[in-house]
Amino acid sequence: MKTQSSGSGIAATRLNRRSFLGLAGLGVAAVGVPSLLTSCSSGAPASVTGGGGTVSTGVLPTYTAVEYVKPDFPSVNGSTAGFAKIPDTLVQAFSSPPGSGGTYTAMTPLWGTIPPSKGNQYYEAVNKAMGTSIKFQISDGNTYGDKLAAVLASEKDVPDWVTIPSWNIPPKFGQAVEALFEDLGPYLSGDKVSKYKNLANIPTDLWRLCVFNDKLYGLPFPAELQTNAIYYRKDILDDLGIDAQPKSADELLDLAKEITAPAKKQWAAEDLWTGATYMFAVPPKWKLDGDKLLNRVETDEYRAALEWLTKLYAAGVVHPDAVADKVEDSKQRFEAGQTLICNDGVGAWAEALGRQLASNPDFQQQPFAPIAADGGTPRLFKADPTGMYSFLKKNEDKAKIEEMLAVADFLAAPFGTQEFQLINNGVEGVHFTLDKDNLPVPTDLAATEVQPTYIFLDSPAVVQSRVQYPGFVEAYCTWMADAAQYVEEPLFFGMQITEPSQFSGIATPFDDLQKDIVRGRKTMADLDKAIETWKSSGGDELRDFYQGILDEQ
Amino acid sequence: MSSDTAPSVAQDDEVVTRSAGATAPAERVRPAAPPRRKVSWRTRFARDRSLIIMTLPAIALLAVFAYVPLAGNVIAWQDYSPYVGISGSPFVGWWNFQRLFADAAFWHAVGNTLLITGFQLVFFFPIPIIMALLLNSVMTPRIRTAIQSVVYLPHFFSWVIVVTVFQQMFGGAGFLAQRLADHGYSGFDLMTNPDSFLLLVTSQAIWKDAGWGMIIFLAALSTVDPALYEASVMDGASKWRRMWHVTLPALRPTIILLLILRLGDALTVGFEQLILQRGAVGADAAEVLDTFVYYQGVVNGDWSFAAAAGLVKGVVAVILVLVANKVAHLFGEAGVYQKA
Repeated sequence: MKTQSSGSGIAATRLNRRSFLGLAGLGVAAVGVPSLLTSCSSGAPASVTGGGGTVSTGVLPTYTAVEYVKPDFPSVNGSTAGFAKIPDTLVQAFSSPPGSGGTYTAMTPLWGTIPPSKGNQYYEAVNKAMGTSIKFQISDGNTYGDKLAAVLASEKDVPDWVTIPSWNIPPKFGQAVEALFEDLGPYLSGDKVSKYKNLANIPTDLWRLCVFNDKLYGLPFPAELQTNAIYYRKDILDDLGIDAQPKSADELLDLAKEITAPAKKQWAAEDLWTGATYMFAVPPKWKLDGDKLLNRVETDEYRAALEWLTKLYAAGVVHPDAVADKVEDSKQRFEAGQTLICNDGVGAWAEALGRQLASNPDFQQQPFAPIAADGGTPRLFKADPTGMYSFLKKNEDKAKIEEMLAVADFLAAPFGTQEFQLINNGVEGVHFTLDKDNLPVPTDLAATEVQPTYIFLDSPAVVQSRVQYPGFVEAYCTWMADAAQYVEEPLFFGMQITEPSQFSGIATPFDDLQKDIVRGRKTMADLDKAIETWKSSGGDELRDFYQGILDEQ
Repeated sequence: MSSDTAPSVAQDDEVVTRSAGATAPAERVRPAAPPRRKVSWRTRFARDRSLIIMTLPAIALLAVFAYVPLAGNVIAWQDYSPYVGISGSPFVGWWNFQRLFADAAFWHAVGNTLLITGFQLVFFFPIPIIMALLLNSVMTPRIRTAIQSVVYLPHFFSWVIVVTVFQQMFGGAGFLAQRLADHGYSGFDLMTNPDSFLLLVTSQAIWKDAGWGMIIFLAALSTVDPALYEASVMDGASKWRRMWHVTLPALRPTIILLLILRLGDALTVGFEQLILQRGAVGADAAEVLDTFVYYQGVVNGDWSFAAAAGLVKGVVAVILVLVANKVAHLFGEAGVYQKA
């Protein structure tokens, strides 16, 4: 066990710091690179910015590593480390249930079929092991942001525990956290976290993004270096005799045209907007052009991605239901083989295997290796190390907050513990059985009950340990390690910036506009107009706001 | 659901009573009526005391769920944030309304709303009447009941199901597109064509609600005294003449009443139906006032701006009802209400 105090940070070279940040976000404890560990991220200036993203000294919890097992596929350039098998003996991290018998409501997103809440043996087992009952209010992940905005606006409807994906942070959230959620600083800041050893095992950079208004509000759900991929149905493409790995955006378009066969009810693609932004290296928020900040919608990359996607739609290779914007059924279409290429989160890969392998053992979903639009070297942007946050609703009763934090500590138990096994695979004999190699084989019940629920409340640093799907961990870690070599940090990386509320709505017209342009209902001239409107309705002021943050860096 | 939907005696009575309730006091205070002595409100209160007491629960209900929440409209004059509440949000005067009237997207939503409502008034509103007249001419009660059940069944489907059914039938991967593709016509997709969207939403509305709307007209039709038909046949009236001089006049009060109510709803053209299809055809064709309010208020977090838009909508709707009611009076109809 290594101890890393917040004061031990020494100036690291730029390169080292960068690679460290990647490692820190991705299970540095399990990676075991001591030389980099010493370049502690808390060594950064006490106050990062004035405009947003400020993190004062002493707010972040002190990092204390706990290691149970060494990974079989170590991290490469910050890629996700993986485990090929489950250790013969699992450590029991909690000798007795940490909870004190309370019941709490929790709102989480789910990209899949919502599991039954009555008679769910997975819920029952986890709740029992925690000593605390969590009652889930699960919402469709595709429309989670809209639901969230309505729930947060009505205080009495806010559950005790709320998960908010970083891309769903609603407008005026700076006010919302103060009004609705508990400041966790008094419980977790500095050495106070030592009471919760698994929370202390979460790398500091993940906590940094949980700081809003210079107070620690969130519990981190770690993200990986890359959060999205373009997937294809390898099994079906193999049957068609197509060896798929497009080298450029044009090749992907050609492939899509080749495999579209409406007569067979088979279309090439879902909406590939996210994939297009990856291929064309569209910056997540801002890009530095000389010394001027350009918003992503103003960049050439953004235009190029739109133009390419317009071609894709015009070619008639996008499934008509996807053209009709029925995104909520996209997984269903892809898994049923009605579409062959889609973009999705990296977590979706294992989720799909979990749903499909039991009924369709041939099912194979594979990501394309990163594609550069022009066929050159791909450029990928590093994802924020925290993909989602969970917040605890304000509670007068300190004991209740402490109980929920104890539960969070339980949920953060890393790979190699019985707790991790239970949370991720369910109950042995009910949701999985162990084969002769000690690998869990999921049962049919696991596909319906063991859905990502508890993990969205709080999770240990990311490792890939879905050993139950044959060959998956290796394929995953290899893909991730390959992608890792192209990754660079975007501007404002790793900073939690709360934009002033008057700018909350100015970017939303682009959501509609993107859909209109790619479907041929509007043109790039409309984009120019929208950018002018954006500038005059606050875009230029927002640019100044970010420039201010940049100047202080 | 009961299949016994043929206008039974009980239903008739109900409708008759309802329309009588609306017309009876009207008859009393028509301008032509003899002038009445003004009675002080105290005397009137004493006279109607038990009736007034009986309305109290309903008034309490209205107060709690309609009038008190109305006070929340104050946020239209604030820069409201739900996280600090009404008391914590600063007042900004007419700023939200100024922004609203200067916003092209708002006027676009108003335009779409009026277009859809106007189109549906012409092409949807008469359909239940026509269906009722047709069905009324079917003599066999069993067939009549069967048809009636079938056409009003879709009313009980939610919009999600209606839109999905249409997507499965008329979408690009739907039944019709597949059949057409089998015969060499590819690329049919009704669901994503913004140009035909108006037809699409109207046909969905007809499929879902025309059967339901028909019921009230059927009930009105069954109140027509058969003796009137017999008398007109004796006088040698043709089928069309009977329809024109007997049936339609009998329907007139109902038609006018529903028309006024429809006008009050003119700016409400179906939130769910449109939001479900907004992505498919784009905001240009599908953004109406209700979806505008939702996206501005809830999704963008600009609650005050959206409240201002909602308030404008409400004011316009009230004006429409008042005007329509006045027009109804001019034509000698009772309308929705009359001054006592």
